[in-house]
Amino acid sequence: MTMPGYAIETRRLTKQFGRVLALNEVDLAIKTGEFAALMGASGSGKTTLMNILSCLDSPSSGDILLEGTAVGELDEEGRRLFRSRRIGLVFQQFHLIPYLNALENVMLAQYYHSVVDEPSARKALDDVGLSHRFDHLPGQLSGGEQQRVCIARALVNRPGLIFADEPTGNLDEQNEERVLDILRALHRDGRTIVMVTHNPALGAAAERIIRLNHGRIES
Amino acid sequence: MAGNSLMPRLVVRALSVRSQRIVMVLFALIVGAAVTCALVAVYFDVSVKMSRELKTYGANFYVGPGQGATLPDEAYQTVFDGIPADMLEGGSPYLYGTARSELEKIVVAGVRFSSLRKLVPYWRTEGAWIGVDFDDRNALIGKTLAGRLGLKLNDTLVLIKNNEKRPFNIKGIIDSGDNSDHMLFVQFEFAQNWLEKPGLMSHALFNLINRHDGVDRLAETLSADHPDWSVRPIRRISAGEGGVLLKIEGLMGLISLVILSLSLVCVNASLAALITERRGEFALQKALGASNRAVVCQVLAETLIIALLASMVGVVIGYVLAQILGQSIFSAAVDLRAPVIPVTVALTVSVALIAAVLPLRRIAKIEPAVTLRGE
Repeated sequence: MTMPGYAIETRRLTKQFGRVLALNEVDLAIKTGEFAALMGASGSGKTTLMNILSCLDSPSSGDILLEGTAVGELDEEGRRLFRSRRIGLVFQQFHLIPYLNALENVMLAQYYHSVVDEPSARKALDDVGLSHRFDHLPGQLSGGEQQRVCIARALVNRPGLIFADEPTGNLDEQNEERVLDILRALHRDGRTIVMVTHNPALGAAAERIIRLNHGRIES
Repeated sequence: MAGNSLMPRLVVRALSVRSQRIVMVLFALIVGAAVTCALVAVYFDVSVKMSRELKTYGANFYVGPGQGATLPDEAYQTVFDGIPADMLEGGSPYLYGTARSELEKIVVAGVRFSSLRKLVPYWRTEGAWIGVDFDDRNALIGKTLAGRLGLKLNDTLVLIKNNEKRPFNIKGIIDSGDNSDHMLFVQFEFAQNWLEKPGLMSHALFNLINRHDGVDRLAETLSADHPDWSVRPIRRISAGEGGVLLKIEGLMGLISLVILSLSLVCVNASLAALITERRGEFALQKALGASNRAVVCQVLAETLIIALLASMVGVVIGYVLAQILGQSIFSAAVDLRAPVIPVTVALTVSVALIAAVLPLRRIAKIEPAVTLRGE
């Protein structure tokens, strides 16, 4: 069981790729509604930890509890279902389907979650300030707008956990600030947010910074 | 609800944005479908066309006495009744004998006129054929005999037996190129009476459609049931007919197989490239919660649409191709028989789906965590 008040908890979480130990017995606890930044140098294991926390990968050993579910014990199908129902993913490179418009890209997350609800998808885009871009294809949107579509897609199913991997890595300063504002708003809304970044300025915006070094948590 | 239309939108839009690859797949399948359609159309039509062609050679089945010169004419009816209706083109008992005319003794042959044309279609006839079996006033005469007796069309030839005379109007003069040129052909029953051979015939000839050695099997059955008869296919025509058909069908099957195999390889390569190009897209769908099955079904739906479109275009092109083949080989149009379209569609869709199997297996191996980071 997760400790009361904690959305994410890992115990002795280890991930090994061949002979490479990417994560070395990581113990981590993130409170419900906390905004945490995962920071560290390249190869520190932050992306590996992020993939495991977001159920895109499984640990080699150790326990991982997300909102009370031992996801480390789930098979691929179980992780897929958990991911679609409880997790929102924000990517550095946006990863929008190029032939679907903004609204359809958001509805795609609904489609794989349960059923498509167009008014909810419109509201999610409205919440990130894109009510005037529903019918635009990704190629017709700026980088900042594409990232906001990506965030709307992550939010549309109202997940409790949001994982953002370098969410402003491809954005200019103005758009970076805009995306940060959205993440702060989500935090105020009570969502648990884990953000991977190597940008100290961005990390400072988070409530808590978790530093990784050679697969271990430093602080 | 919008949800119901998202998958069709995904499928249709995905097809529209990668037009170059899709056109490659479509082209390969259209070529396969068109050639298959043409050859299947000819395949289903060729038996009939070939039989029709080879039927110009006439009778291909003989039933005669095992010993002696005659056998009961009931044998003709027995054989006739035992031949499947769709196999029988025509048949006639034959009775030969000599009779006196006013000028000289001649050979008389009794036949059933209604079937004669199907048994000896190669006869060139001056005048007209006799169309009905009961016509005992008209006769056909071989050109050599006619020349010897000085007879022309519509002249009268009189047969004489004891004090009885029987005039015949010469309705046609035949040029057969064989012994028939020396004979007078009259109604079968008249010949039995005149030649005093009631209930007898010399032999019977039939013109049969030979599909899959049916003539041989019929000969074996009749020989077993009637060991006192001599029953045999007229080899030169019937065996050749069956053999030619088999060879043509085999050749067409082989060509179809080769073309479909080439289509399969081409479609397989194009789909493999297409799926590699779309790895990121599929990885994202899986990251959002799509099952492997859902993604595979989406790509299968795309493949199916391409295959059905290719089938439709292929059938149209194949029909034109079949007409060209039909005209050049049989000098006749090739009919698009009932099984052609379903067989073409089934083969084209099967080729597309088989070609998609290996590329689709790659979808299951896509790991979102790795692919989405571009590693």
